[in-house]
Amino acid sequence: MTMARLTLTNGKSVVKPFNRIWIVLAVVIVLGLIFGYIIKLDSEGISFKPDQLPIILKKLFSPHRGETWADYFAYIPKLQNVLIMTLEMCYGGTVIGSALAIPTALLSSRNIVKTKWIYGPARFLLNLFRTIPVTVLAVISIGLVGIAGGSTLAGTIAITLFTYGVMAKMLYELIETIDMNCYEAIESTGASHLQAIRFAVLPQIYASFAGYVIYVFEMNVRSSAILSYVGIVSIGTIMRIYEMTDYDKVGGAVILLFGVCVVIQLCSDLARRKLQ
Amino acid sequence: MKNSEKALKKLPKKWIINLIFTVALIALVIYTLEGSTINPLRVKQIPFIIAAFFRGFADILWPALFGFDGYQFNESIIYLALQTLSIGFFGTLLGAILAIPVAFLASRNIVGKHLAKVGSVLLVIIRVFPEIILAYILVKGLGIGSITGILVIGIHSVGMLGKLFAETIDEMDRSSIEALEAVGANGLQKVRYGILPQILPLMTSITLYRLDINVRSATVLGAIGAGGLGVLLTVFSDPPAWDILATIMVAIMAMVMIVDTVSSKLREKLI
Amino acid sequence: MIRFVDVQKTYSNGVQALKGVNLQINDGEFVAIIGLSGAGKSTLLRSINKMIPITSGQLYIDDIEISSIRGKALRYLRRSIGMIFQSFNLVKRMSVYNNVLTGRVGYHSTFPTLFGLFPREDKILALDSLDALGILDKAFTRADQLSGGQQQRVALARALTQKPKLILADEPVASLDPITTVQVMDDFARINKDFGITIVANMHHVDLALKYATRIIGIRDGIVVFDGLSSEVNEQILVEVYGRTLKHNEVLGE
Repeated sequence: MTMARLTLTNGKSVVKPFNRIWIVLAVVIVLGLIFGYIIKLDSEGISFKPDQLPIILKKLFSPHRGETWADYFAYIPKLQNVLIMTLEMCYGGTVIGSALAIPTALLSSRNIVKTKWIYGPARFLLNLFRTIPVTVLAVISIGLVGIAGGSTLAGTIAITLFTYGVMAKMLYELIETIDMNCYEAIESTGASHLQAIRFAVLPQIYASFAGYVIYVFEMNVRSSAILSYVGIVSIGTIMRIYEMTDYDKVGGAVILLFGVCVVIQLCSDLARRKLQ
Repeated sequence: MKNSEKALKKLPKKWIINLIFTVALIALVIYTLEGSTINPLRVKQIPFIIAAFFRGFADILWPALFGFDGYQFNESIIYLALQTLSIGFFGTLLGAILAIPVAFLASRNIVGKHLAKVGSVLLVIIRVFPEIILAYILVKGLGIGSITGILVIGIHSVGMLGKLFAETIDEMDRSSIEALEAVGANGLQKVRYGILPQILPLMTSITLYRLDINVRSATVLGAIGAGGLGVLLTVFSDPPAWDILATIMVAIMAMVMIVDTVSSKLREKLI
Repeated sequence: MIRFVDVQKTYSNGVQALKGVNLQINDGEFVAIIGLSGAGKSTLLRSINKMIPITSGQLYIDDIEISSIRGKALRYLRRSIGMIFQSFNLVKRMSVYNNVLTGRVGYHSTFPTLFGLFPREDKILALDSLDALGILDKAFTRADQLSGGQQQRVALARALTQKPKLILADEPVASLDPITTVQVMDDFARINKDFGITIVANMHHVDLALKYATRIIGIRDGIVVFDGLSSEVNEQILVEVYGRTLKHNEVLGE
């Protein structure tokens, strides 16, 4: 490591400190080379066939051979049951998971629980839990309650667990930014900790929390399709069932899911503006 | 006494609205759960399932994890985790590069109010489009593998990165650019010394934050065929092979926790 | 009545904020504590309701030694003592009325208050307090929409709603402009006189302290260096408290 020594005209000299950004940059480049090599190895035996993309898009978003556009769109309303199931488990999971996240978030906040050996382990366990991929959470949920009879319970539990992790983390980060002066004031009136949380913390996080709930619901609807890859019935199931035979039906499901996401996004924008 | 009695009568009946709202919220949750009957035999099994889940972590398949005892390194779970990490890394890089022009297009300061509207609508569409559907289409259209995973993550990231980059550009302090103008800097010099030093650290920080999200989603997207170890999670899920799943999860936990720690430490340094 | 017997406070970082304070404050007094910042004014004030626990000595409030009390007994103590802060410490997103109602929280068990349920007397009491401070018309406005002076009055109303026998004020006017400062200090004087509530206030501005308080306690480096009537305070005493002549910004300059 060379340090640049600069001498001023009056004879004084200063040492220009070494900029650590170069070390970071070097590490990133080395990592990039290693990662690039890994990707190259993985891609070797695999045929990359970009010419297929337009064909697939055409199959997805146009009527099946011998059918009309009317037939194409007539399929979408038939998906209403599976759509309702998807929305039901996303809604139930989001609300229950968000409610469960509140105590954990309070326990993980540095400014509420001032003891390091409480919020430290609470945070670590939460972060560990958050590393479990949603597909594994779904496998656990199926193991717990099963998926017999078209029940959405396993899906609800999977989304509950996923929401719990995401929400607890977002919430404790939010709680750590709130103004704690009023907490002190309410404690000075003789309130218990729970009462101080109720009157000083909750009013401050209420609006943002509601916004987060809508945001996570939206995220859950978008990612619910993945649950079908481990056996939970959702819109994604349509994509799986017909992927070899009827791409037009898959296309319908894709349009429906995207449409629902757009509607939720518009509603959530409206709701968040009202909450501010 | 009289004044306060009068004021009490005018007290907004907000609690009624809150009560109705809360009751409706809970009623709807109960409605979604209704009909989900659990077989009593299953209820008895629940402790065993939970025990099986945790027992998986006692039976970790070390040879498969690290690639010895008949396993090659390049078929080990660690290797597949590295592959997932690579997909997250290059996906984020691609997303950041693609997001820069779109962010300028969505920035009021740069392109004006009307064109910025077009840019931000484009960003919303990208953000709202489900990543899983994107993965599905690209896997069908381009083929299974890491490159597809990188493309999926890269394209999907543009939505969030572009939005946050655009906000960074719009919140830029213009006075330093004015000062550079005053010392006679030309356009490119203004970008180099006035704009980049302001937005580069913030944009790097945003990108690091997204890296954390992307590595997590790379593990899930593997299930659809976008490369990495995600595919194993679904292959061994029915019936669940808890020892293998636990082995994969250990790799994921280590990888995600390392990325999370490094990303947040670097972000602290940047801001 | 508050009685300090050789009270000491040493913080965990080693700073000795109070070095053996002996004091007695009687019911109905209006006491101002003056001194440089860092002299221990805030520690002294906050030790009275145990927001800061003392390290040694005894502190009696109505002949109850408070350094050993905790839990429910501590909360009962605190609810009988109002506290006013420099930055008002209101819950900004909540209405004025709800902020004032939080003064009653200590009187009820946790469960009903968690749902925001208060008896009718409490609601009337909260509104009475607002009326007494002339801000009843602001009752259902959000706290953050009020001016600084109005916010400090809401904080005073919150304290009044506690039905306290004592109000502690930590630099109550330090974030206010000169005109609202006078109004808020007038409120303190009125509360002291009309309700007979003891007031102990940390004051940054010496002239205000002399004008409103009946008794002055000067503190320097954790030691009480002056304790007497405000009429007894002269230039020499101020030099002793502050270690120098006053700077321009330490008097309001009226």
